[in-house]
Amino acid sequence: MFGWKGKMLRVDLSRRNCSVEETPSDLIRDYMGGRGAGVKILFDEIDPRIDPLGPENKLIFATGPLVGTGVPAGGRYIVVSKSPLSGAIANPCCGGYFGPNLKFAGYDLLIIEGKSPEPVYLFIRNDVVEIRSADQLWGKWATETERLLRAEMSEDFDEWELNNMSIVTIGPAGENLVKFACIMSDGGRAAGRSGLGAVMGSKNLKGLAVSGTGEVKIADVDGFKKAVMDFFEEGRANETLEKRRRWGTWSLPGRANKTGTQAALNFQSGYFEPFTKFEDPDFIRDSIRVRDEACFGCPFACSKRSRIEDLAYPGTTKGPEHESMALLGSNCGIGDLDDIYRANYLCNELGMDTISAGAIISCAMELFEKGYLPEKDIGYPLSFGSNESMFQLMRKTALREDFGDLLAEGGDALAQKYGHPELFMGIKGMGMPAWHPQGIEVIGLQYATNNVGGCHTKATLPFYEGRKDPKHHVRLTKQDQDYIAVVDSSVLCWIIYHGPLWGEKLLSWLQITTGIDYTENDLSLIGERIWNLERIFNLKAGISKKDDRLPKRITDEPRVKNQVVHLDRMLPEYYKFRGWDENGIPTPEKLQQLGLEKEGAGL
Amino acid sequence: MRIKIDHLKCTGCKLCEVVCSLQHTEAVNLWRSRIRVFITEDYCLPVIGGPYTEAMCNSKDVVFVEGKEIDGCVVCRASCPAKSIFKEPDTAIPLKCDFCGDPPDPQCVAWCDADALTICD
Repeated sequence: MFGWKGKMLRVDLSRRNCSVEETPSDLIRDYMGGRGAGVKILFDEIDPRIDPLGPENKLIFATGPLVGTGVPAGGRYIVVSKSPLSGAIANPCCGGYFGPNLKFAGYDLLIIEGKSPEPVYLFIRNDVVEIRSADQLWGKWATETERLLRAEMSEDFDEWELNNMSIVTIGPAGENLVKFACIMSDGGRAAGRSGLGAVMGSKNLKGLAVSGTGEVKIADVDGFKKAVMDFFEEGRANETLEKRRRWGTWSLPGRANKTGTQAALNFQSGYFEPFTKFEDPDFIRDSIRVRDEACFGCPFACSKRSRIEDLAYPGTTKGPEHESMALLGSNCGIGDLDDIYRANYLCNELGMDTISAGAIISCAMELFEKGYLPEKDIGYPLSFGSNESMFQLMRKTALREDFGDLLAEGGDALAQKYGHPELFMGIKGMGMPAWHPQGIEVIGLQYATNNVGGCHTKATLPFYEGRKDPKHHVRLTKQDQDYIAVVDSSVLCWIIYHGPLWGEKLLSWLQITTGIDYTENDLSLIGERIWNLERIFNLKAGISKKDDRLPKRITDEPRVKNQVVHLDRMLPEYYKFRGWDENGIPTPEKLQQLGLEKEGAGL
Repeated sequence: MRIKIDHLKCTGCKLCEVVCSLQHTEAVNLWRSRIRVFITEDYCLPVIGGPYTEAMCNSKDVVFVEGKEIDGCVVCRASCPAKSIFKEPDTAIPLKCDFCGDPPDPQCVAWCDADALTICD
C-alpha cells in the first residue's frame, strides 16, 4: 500500500490491552485519513452525549497518506476526540515529528480508550507497545517531562534514535483537567484548541514516546522527486511563502494592527497602539529568535524558536505565533514583547492553549475594569495590561488554585458567574482567535459555523481576491471549510496549503504518493462528507443552530471601521447552500448524496 | 569533492534523510539514510556517513558546537565499529555516503532548500 500503512493501533488503558487492526479500506476511501478517519471512528464508537472527561471518551491520534512521505509541509498529525471545552467535536492539528514517527512505527492511527488507574506514559517502537509508569513525571512541566523521558530512555537507544524519537506530553494544566489544556510535543508544539490535554489528563496519560524504524512507500518515486524539486522553485517565487520562511506568522500582528483587524482589549477594538512597533516584523525576529524550526519535511520552517534573557524563564520555547501574540498581547492590553514571550512560555510549559488562555484572561480583565469582578475574588488587581497578575493567574489556573479554579472551567463559566455572559468573546465556549471579524466579515461566518468553535484553522485566512464582496462569503466559506477538511485528512499543513491557489497541489501530491486517480470532485466530496459528519456528531451532542452564533459585541456593536458582522443575513444562506434545513440540520437529500444516511438517521 | 555543512542554516526538516533513503531504497525510511540530522534547541546538526574505518579510533573526545558540549562520536563522519548509527537495520552493515553515484550528484544537497548543505571541491 502506498501512502497509508494500513494498520491502526488501539490501546485500552483500563484493561492495559493493546491490539493492532487493519485500517478499513472503506474508511480510507470515504474519509482519507487524519481528521476524517478520526471523526468517523469516534462517531461509530462513542455516544456523542458522553462526558468528554469520562473513561468512555476516546482520543485518536491520526496521520494521513501524505504524512512521513516527505511531501513538503506534510509532517503534521491531528488529534480527534470530544472536547471538554465546547462539548463538540475536537480536531486540533500539530506539527513537528510525531506524525511521521507514528507512521514509521507502522500505524496510520492510534486510538486510546479507557482510563488508567495511575499515571502512565505510552511507549511505542514498531510492534513493541508498553504502558509504563509515569509517577515520577506527574506534575512536571511539558519540556521538563520530555527531558526526563529522554534521560530515562538514554540507555536503551543510540544517540540518533533518542534524538529522533517524538515525545508528546501534557503539562500540569492537562493533569488538573483545565478545560483548555493542550497536548504538547517536540519541545513546544501544541495541538492547542479544544482542551484535549484535559482528556489525556482524565485518562491519567502523561505522555507518549514514539519511535519507528519502518518505511513509507510512495507510488511514483521519480515523479515525486521531480515534483518536490519543482515545488522548491514555486515556493521561492511565492511572496507569501517567502514571508512565512523569514518571519513565520510574525509578519501578521503588525499588518493586522495597521488594517484595524487585530483583536484588542477583549475585542473592544481592532487596533492596539503598542503593536505599531511590530509593523516591522524584523523587530520581533531580531529580538527573540533563536532559529527557524521546520516540521518534518517542510522547506519553509515557518515556526521560530525563541528565547529571552530572563533566568526565571530558562531555555527556549516556540513562538509566540501571531494568534498567541494577539490574544495574550493586544487582547489583554500587553504590548511588551518580552511579556508576551513570558505569557506564551508559561502557556507552553504549563500545557495550556495560548488563544483560550488569552481570551479568558482578557474577559476577566474587562469584568474587573467594569467593576463586575471584585478584586477580593482574585486577590490582586487585574486591569488590562497588568502583566504580573496575568502570569500569576496562569500558574494558578494550571494548578486550579484560588481564582484560577474558576478560570480553568472556561470563559463561559467565568462570564456567567459574574452575570455578564456577553463579555466572553467565544463561540461554542471556545475563545475567538486573533482576526477581528468586524475587519473581515467573511471570517465572522467562518468562526460562527465552525464545528469546533471559535478557531481559525478550519477555514482559511481569506487572502484571495474578492474576499470583501459579501456575495461570495457563503460560497467561499463552504468551499474553504471542505477543502481544509481534506488538507487535515491527508495530512498537510493548512498554513502552507490554504487558499484556492493550492487546490491543485493537494490533488497532485495525493495522486503521486498514493497512486490513486483522485479527481477534484472526489476531494470536495470527501471534504463535505467530513464536515457534515462532524456536524451530525455535534447535533447529536446537543450543539445546534443556537450555538452557531457570534458574541453580541461582534454582531451588534460596531467597534472596528464602524462595521458589524451580518450573521443573521449570512447564516440562513449558508445553511441553504450547504443543503441543510433552516435549523442547520442536513436534509435527507444531502445525507444521501454524501452516503451519510445511516449516520444522519434520527436527527 | 566534499559536502560542506553549515549547521546554522539547517532547519531540521529532514528532507535530506527522506531523499537519501528514497534514492537508495525507493521508499522513505530514515534508518536507511546515509545522512542524519541531530536536533537541538539552538541548532540542527546534519551528519553524513563517511568512509569506513578498520577499528575504533582512540581520540574519542568532546567537541564544542556553539558553546555547548557534544559527544565527538555524534559529529564524526567515520563509519566506525563503535558507532551504532549508520547501520543497515536488517544486516547491520555500515551505511556509507556514495555521493549518489557516478557522476556525483548528491541528492541531499539538491533537496536542501535552506542551503545548509553545499558542494565544495
